[in-house]
Amino acid sequence: MKKRIPLNYITAAVLCVIVIVLVIVLAMQFGLANEKEPIYPGPGVTDMKMLSTWFPALAGTNGDTEVYILDSGVEGASMLVLGGTHPNEPSGFISAIMLIESCQPSSGTLFVIPRANNSAFTCTDPQEAAPMRFTIDTNNGTRWFRFGSRATNPTDQWPDSEVYVHASSGQQLSGSETRNLNRAYPGRADGNFTEKVAYGITQMIQSEDITITVDLHEASPEYTTVNAIVAHERALDLATLALWMVEDDMKISVEASPKNLHGLSHRELGDYTDTLALLMETANASQGRLHGRIDSALVTSGVDKFYARAYGYGSLNVDYPETGISISERCARHITCLKEFCEVYDGDKGLISLGEMPSYDEIIRNGIGHYLSDPQ
Amino acid sequence: MDIELICLLAMLGVFLLSNLLLKLPVSISMVLGALAGAIVGGEGIPLRHLFEGTFTYVDTMLIISSAMLFMTVIQESGALEALNSVIVTHFYKYPALMLIMLMLVIMFPGMITGSSTAAVLSAGALVAPVLLLIGIPKEKAGAIIAIGSIMGMAAPPINIPAMLIGGGVDMPYIGFDGPLLLLTIPCAVFSILFLGLKHCRNLDIEKLESGLDLEVGKKYGFKLYIPILALFVLLIASKAFPAFPQIGTCLIFLVCAFIGLFTGRKFNFWEKALKAMDTTIPVLAKLMGVGMFIQIMTLVGARGWIVVSCLSLGIAAVYIASFTVMPAFGAISSYGAASVLGVPFLLVMIQQGRCSDIVVASCLSFLCCLGDLMPPTALAGNYAAQIVGLKYKPVLIHCIVPFVVCIAVGLAVMLNSLTFA
Ligand SMILES: [Zn+2]
Repeated sequence: MKKRIPLNYITAAVLCVIVIVLVIVLAMQFGLANEKEPIYPGPGVTDMKMLSTWFPALAGTNGDTEVYILDSGVEGASMLVLGGTHPNEPSGFISAIMLIESCQPSSGTLFVIPRANNSAFTCTDPQEAAPMRFTIDTNNGTRWFRFGSRATNPTDQWPDSEVYVHASSGQQLSGSETRNLNRAYPGRADGNFTEKVAYGITQMIQSEDITITVDLHEASPEYTTVNAIVAHERALDLATLALWMVEDDMKISVEASPKNLHGLSHRELGDYTDTLALLMETANASQGRLHGRIDSALVTSGVDKFYARAYGYGSLNVDYPETGISISERCARHITCLKEFCEVYDGDKGLISLGEMPSYDEIIRNGIGHYLSDPQ
Repeated sequence: MDIELICLLAMLGVFLLSNLLLKLPVSISMVLGALAGAIVGGEGIPLRHLFEGTFTYVDTMLIISSAMLFMTVIQESGALEALNSVIVTHFYKYPALMLIMLMLVIMFPGMITGSSTAAVLSAGALVAPVLLLIGIPKEKAGAIIAIGSIMGMAAPPINIPAMLIGGGVDMPYIGFDGPLLLLTIPCAVFSILFLGLKHCRNLDIEKLESGLDLEVGKKYGFKLYIPILALFVLLIASKAFPAFPQIGTCLIFLVCAFIGLFTGRKFNFWEKALKAMDTTIPVLAKLMGVGMFIQIMTLVGARGWIVVSCLSLGIAAVYIASFTVMPAFGAISSYGAASVLGVPFLLVMIQQGRCSDIVVASCLSFLCCLGDLMPPTALAGNYAAQIVGLKYKPVLIHCIVPFVVCIAVGLAVMLNSLTFA
C-alpha cells in the first residue's frame, strides 16, 4: 500500500510549477477585491472630500475614504451616516449609497461615508466562505457590490497581538478585534492603521460639529442585539422619540450603550465628541453561524432554511420567516429610522430634514434597487 | 435528508477513508474531504475558497515555526540540560511539590500566549527530560505535557476561546480570571499527581545526578539562561504594557532564538533548524487542511447544519452538546469549536437567563480547550508525543482519565452557576 512519490528535483520542479500557476490564477481572482464598485452621486450631493481632509496622515493610504456632503443650502443641524464600518454587513453600505444617489435634504447638511473601513472592503474572512461580490437589480440593469471583511485587510495592518488592548480605556478584547474599526474609537493619531481611520472620523465629527452620528450595522440573527437602535445616553431621548414614530412599521428596540464596552462608536463618539451617537443593527443571515449554503443570493434575499428552523426552535431574537429578511427590508429599516432621527431632532443647532424620502413600505415594495442610480 | 448533511457525510467519509484506509497524511485527507464536499455541494472546485481557508491559522503556523526554532536553539545550546539539573537537585526531596511546580512551568507559556502548542513546544520541551529523569515513563510524561499545555491555554490571563466566545456576544474579557483559575488549577494539580506521583516517591539523588549533565551549567553559568529570560520578559512586556512595541509572538521567539546562538554551546544552526522544520511541516500542513475543511463546510452549509441540529434538540441537548460535541469539534480545531459552537451555545444559555454569563462562558471555553486533545489533529497530544519521542496514541491513552475529570469539573461548575445565579 505504501507507494511513495519519489523525492527528486523533477517532482520538486513539477510542484513548483503547479504552485506558480495556482498563485497567478488566484492572485488575479483576489485582485478583483481592489476594484471599487461605482457610486453615482445624485442631485443632492454638493461636494465630495476625502477623510484625509480632516486627518492628513490618511492621505494615500488604503484607509482614506470618500466623504459625500449633501448640503441643503438651508442652515441647520448636521448628520453623519457611516456605512461599511463592517463590509460584511451590506445593508449599511447599500443604505449609505442609496442616500448618496437619491437623497436631497431640505434643511441642514448630510455627510455620508459609504466605506468607513475602506481597507476591509478589499478582503474576505477565512472560514466564512462569503462571496466576494453580490448583485442588486435596479430599474435599468444589475449592479455589483463588494462583500468584504469585518476587519481591516491584514496587508494594511498585521500581525495582531493575542490580546487587543483598547488604548483609551485599557479594556482587553480578543486579538482578532485589533483590526475592527468599531472597537478602535475614538482612535489615535499615532496608533495602528485602524485606530488612525477611527481618529480621522472622530476628527471630522469634531471639526464639522456633526449633530447626529449614525453607524449602520447588521448582526447575525442569533445575536443578542439585533433589530435595534443602540444609543449613547445623550442620544437616548432622540432614539426613543424616533422609535415611537417607526413602531407601526417595524419591530425595533432601543438599547442604551453599555458603559463598560469600549471602542464602539456609540460609546466613544458620544463620550469624546458633542455628537449624538447612535448605532443600528438589522438581521443578516450571511454573517451568521447557522446559515446553509452561502452565495450572493443569501446576502440579498436572506432566504435560509436553517435560520427559519432555528426561529422555530426559539433560538433567535428576531422573527425569521421562510421568506427571509431581504436586503430591501433591512435597508428600509435603516433609511426609515435615519429619516425619523432627523425629523424628531429638536435641539439648539436648528433643523435637519432628508427631504422627500420613500416610505418603509415603498422601499420594500419597489426594492432597494429602485432607489439606486441606473448604470449607463 | 438535507443536502448539507449529505455534503458533511461526504466530507467526513472521504477524510476518514483517505486517512485510515489509504494511510494518507491528515493534511492531504482534509484537502480531499474538502474537495469532496465542494463537489457534492455543487461548487465544483472552488479554488478561491480552498486557498482562503488555508489562511485561517497563518498566525498560529508562524508562531509554531518560530517556537520550534527557539526550542532547537535552547536544546542545542545546553540551556535545557542545565535548567533540568537545577530543578532536580534542589527539589528531589519533595516530589509532589516538585511535580506541581513543573506543571506550572508547563502551563506558563500557554497562560501568556493562549496557545497549547506554544506551551508544549517551549516549556513542555523544557520539562520533558526532567519528567523522564525522575522515572516517569515516556507515555505518561507525554500525557502530563499535553494536559498541562491545555490547562495553560485555558488558564488566565489569556484564554483565546473565551475571548472568541465573549467577542461573539459582545462580552468584554473582564472577570474571567476567577472562574478560569477555579477550573484549571485543580484539574492541573490532579492530573500531574495522578499521572506522576507514584513514579517518584523515593528519588535517589546519586542516580539522578548520574543522568544529568552538570558540566554545561557550570561552564557557561547564568549566560545560558538569557534567551529563556528574554523570552519571558518580552512575552510579558508585550502583554502588560500597551505602549511596548507590538512585534508579535513570532518575532519574539525568533529574537530569543538568535540571542541563544551566542550564549551557550556552539552548534550547526542550519542543520538543526532544517531538522526542526522537517518535524514541524506536517503539523503546519494539518492546520492548513483544517482551515480549508472548515471553509468548505461553511460554503456548502454543513457548518450551519451542525449548529442548527444541536439547537433543534432543545436546551438540555445544548448542555449535553457543550461537553460532548464541542470538545469533539476540537478534532478539527478548538478555536473553531469556540466560534462555531461556543457562541450560539452561550447565546441559547443566556436566553434562558438562569445562569452567570461569565462563568458559563469560562466553562465553555475550558471545554473547547480540551478539544486540543482530540485525534486526529490533537495538536497538544501530537506535539507532546513528539517531544518524548513516541507516536501520539499511547500518550493519548494516558490522557483519558484526566480528560474525563476535566470534563466533569467543567460541567459541574457550569451546572452550579445555573442553579445559583
Ligand atoms: Zn457591525
